[in-house]
Amino acid sequence: MPNVVVCVKPIPDPRHWDRLFLDPETGVLKRAGIPPALNPLDKNALEVALQLKERFGWEVTVVSMAPPDTTKALREALAMGADRVYLASDKALAGADTLATAYTLAQLIRKKASPFHLVICGNISLDGSTSQVPAQIAHYLGIPHITHATHVETEDGQLFTITMNIKKGELVFRCTTPFLLAVTKDVNLPRLVNVMGIIAAETKPLEVIDARELELDLDKVGLKGSPTRVRGLFIPEIKRRREILTGEPEEVAEELLNKLHEAGVL
Amino acid sequence: MKEHEGFWVFIEQIEGKISEVGLELLSKARELADQKGTYTAAILLGDFSKEDAKKLTHYGADKVFLFSDERLNRYCCLAYSRLITPLVEREKPEALFMGATPLGADLAPRVAAQLETGLSAHCVDLRLGEDGILEQIVPGFGGTMMAVIICPEKRPQMATVMPGVFKKSESHKKGEVIEEEVTLSGEDFIPEAVEYRTKKQKTVPLEGANVVVCGGYGMENEENWKLLEELASVLGGAVGATRPAVDEGWAPEEVMIGQSGKIVRPKLYIGAGISGVMHHVVGIQDSDIIVVINKDPGAQFFEVCDFGVVGDAEKILPALIEKLKERFSS
Repeated sequence: MPNVVVCVKPIPDPRHWDRLFLDPETGVLKRAGIPPALNPLDKNALEVALQLKERFGWEVTVVSMAPPDTTKALREALAMGADRVYLASDKALAGADTLATAYTLAQLIRKKASPFHLVICGNISLDGSTSQVPAQIAHYLGIPHITHATHVETEDGQLFTITMNIKKGELVFRCTTPFLLAVTKDVNLPRLVNVMGIIAAETKPLEVIDARELELDLDKVGLKGSPTRVRGLFIPEIKRRREILTGEPEEVAEELLNKLHEAGVL
Repeated sequence: MKEHEGFWVFIEQIEGKISEVGLELLSKARELADQKGTYTAAILLGDFSKEDAKKLTHYGADKVFLFSDERLNRYCCLAYSRLITPLVEREKPEALFMGATPLGADLAPRVAAQLETGLSAHCVDLRLGEDGILEQIVPGFGGTMMAVIICPEKRPQMATVMPGVFKKSESHKKGEVIEEEVTLSGEDFIPEAVEYRTKKQKTVPLEGANVVVCGGYGMENEENWKLLEELASVLGGAVGATRPAVDEGWAPEEVMIGQSGKIVRPKLYIGAGISGVMHHVVGIQDSDIIVVINKDPGAQFFEVCDFGVVGDAEKILPALIEKLKERFSS
């Protein structure tokens, strides 16, 4: 059965980011207690895959790399309609940067989700916001990639026309499978999970796989396989005048304009 | 083994037109190279002559590596990476920067993976640590945190940097253009870019505007939004928006300011109805003067302002517009 692979990332639920804090002693980011959620754009990626499934009868395989306590977030992908989830989870994978993450996910796709027609990712994750993993997965899989996709069209499921938003304009690419696609929120509106989906998800396979089963080169995964390091974290401090003006609109408007004039910006 | 040396910049171009971000990065590369006593280089791909490439030396490039070929005028990741990666392997620069634009964000990770080196994304600053290692400042979690990223062992140290973070500056140093051979076949141009479409610019461009008037969710409706446009027009400035205001449909995505939008550095920034989350603040923090208008005296945005007005934007903005018109007419 032709297969479409969707890469997803469970992230700390953005609704609770006010609970993130830096440990002043260690400089380590504390995210304890924040429940995992699917990265929003990954749902757009999944929606593209589910529509292809409906049109061409493909199977949708979700892959992820995350700690094992994120399975609840991954069940949501199954409830939306994915057929199965493979989660790479192992202490050896912790601390991975984008290169090590991409290597691991590519290896997971090779081992468990090949052959495939397409690999689809969200263009960016809300937490790390690097947007780097999709192109690097494509490198490790030896396939072309297209990121920043706003439109995905195909007649036959083989030849695709993809529009890439490059802000100043748009590039339209034509590409035949297999390739990797990273989508933006403009590509579609992800479906909502319904009760039938949630019930169905309970019996769908969600397999957790460790580093040994993936036959990973342990020098290329986790912190050890990551070329980058975090030297420190800080909360940005911005020093400004902070002169607060209050009063009737007429008065404060006059006062503000005088201040701006003095500051030389009017 | 040759030491890794030199600060390099990929010069982005769209359909043959060089983007500002590459020139901005060249001036930063110049600064870092001078600090370290080394050289700078630019990589230019496209339908360019040696004379075109020479112009990059006016922005701080000691060397310009030119791949001249009309097929390269339109971006293609595989073709670009298959020229850039071997060049970098041969010349061994210590750092390579690209714009954190869609094209840079598409190309840089592929090149970094081919080189098996580290890459940091959407940097808002670059500096040298005391040990000479490049420190790359990256916002995370919507900008609520800043991380200092380094790449201690692998070379080159790679980073994508937001447009508008650094200022381009002209340099009087003399540089040279090195023409490189373009050895590509049809298979390298996959996927095939069949068309480029420009978008219509409806508003005054934010980039380079001296005054930016920006609104957030607190503007409440489209009617009030027009007040921002009027104020901007009186001041000869541009209108920007926060993510929630764009989501409400009051302004197009192109004018979104913040970590995932644009970074602006006007002389005067006026923000109304904006709560001031870091996502937005990172996009405006280099403005000369920041004015915040918000009816909630506890709004976080007041902490980063020069002048704050506690009041209803619906009432303050018309008063400002009136007073300004009076001043400019007298």
